Amino acid sequence: MNPPILRPESLADACTMLSLDEDALIYGGGTALQILRKQGILSASSFVDISQIPGLNEVHQTENEILVGSMVSIRRMETDPLVRRYLSLASAAYAKVANPRVRNTATVGGNIAHGDYRLDPPVALLVLGATIEATSAEGSRRIPIEEFFVDFQLTALDHGEIVTSIKIPVSSDIVASTYVKLSSLSANDWPSASAAAAVFRRPGETRILRLALGALAPTPVVTSVDITGLRKDQAAEAVLERAILMMDPLPDVRGGIEYKRNLGRVAVEDALRNLWRDQPSD
Amino acid sequence: MNLTLNINGTAHSVDIVEGELLLDVLRRLGFTSVREGCGVGACGSCTVLVDGHSVSSCLTLSSRCAGTEIQTSEGLGKDNPVVRAFVAEGALQCGYCIPGFVMMATELLSENLHPDEKDVADHLEGNICRCGTYPEIVKAVLAAASGIPK
Repeated sequence: MNPPILRPESLADACTMLSLDEDALIYGGGTALQILRKQGILSASSFVDISQIPGLNEVHQTENEILVGSMVSIRRMETDPLVRRYLSLASAAYAKVANPRVRNTATVGGNIAHGDYRLDPPVALLVLGATIEATSAEGSRRIPIEEFFVDFQLTALDHGEIVTSIKIPVSSDIVASTYVKLSSLSANDWPSASAAAAVFRRPGETRILRLALGALAPTPVVTSVDITGLRKDQAAEAVLERAILMMDPLPDVRGGIEYKRNLGRVAVEDALRNLWRDQPSD
Repeated sequence: MNLTLNINGTAHSVDIVEGELLLDVLRRLGFTSVREGCGVGACGSCTVLVDGHSVSSCLTLSSRCAGTEIQTSEGLGKDNPVVRAFVAEGALQCGYCIPGFVMMATELLSENLHPDEKDVADHLEGNICRCGTYPEIVKAVLAAASGIPK
């Protein structure tokens, strides 16, 4: 038997449905839920289908940020001219999710709420300093993305909270950015190691390199390294040293601990090479 | 529950069970070009277009598709340029996966009139052909894009 599907037409109704039933699950794009249901490892008393709720399927630009509704498709983040122009790092990471069909169906909110440590987009969102808006019957709150991934397959969301939007800052300080995904099975599988990185040039010419790693620890992880005044080789050494300390890989079918550590190192080195290539004058 | 689905330009009224997937409904209605392979969105054999966008019908709730335009390869017909190019290039062996490839190619060509080989490979990378007909498939999509009749 499939769980009954509830179709709220307002956010308030969806929040009420979730607050009344602690075994209800939110149905966004459904790509992950359907796979887990078929594998028999999902138990839900009902699915709350949030596709009828107005306003969740929009991308808005304000002065310094882009606000992405939770039901916006992954593929739109890959192809939307606004996102490509102002958030090229995010667009690059969303473009690497699974395959075009899954990207057409899966959603920005569902992706992050899934909370998997290997997801492509979160590393870009960590580098860019995104904020997640979650709404429940109690109201809305904003969760900085650095606080969102709590532990293995565990996010900061409470039961009954719906990811309603992701706010991504648009920064003119970014002089170069890159997303590197390395997979050991097929090209559109989960990464076995991923790295997103950007160099921020701040007033006074300080340079901060922000690096996030995916699939290399129980949650995606992020760090900032001050590379002001460092030569490229010195900066690379400082970043690699930090990156290695962040790695705590889980062994699985995609590789053992040492293999993933090595692959993680390659991902960081590839990311650094891409960054240096994009700012050749330094 | 009863559902009306617009498939290849025709409205079909169908009774579905709660949560029934689009793949199962389409096959029940006789659209047997839509085929289950992996069942988890990774092989592309069940690809259909919903409002012009490719989806894995094995992961798609049929109830979400009310009010949309669903396209399967049955709707393309034998004179469709993509179908003709696949035939002309011999881009099939057993043929099980081919309707999925044809629908992905149809989506690609609706978004990009002049794809190069890399664009084709990138767009079709999530479709699997166990006969290994990939070189012919890529040639067929490029031929369809160039509009060269064979």
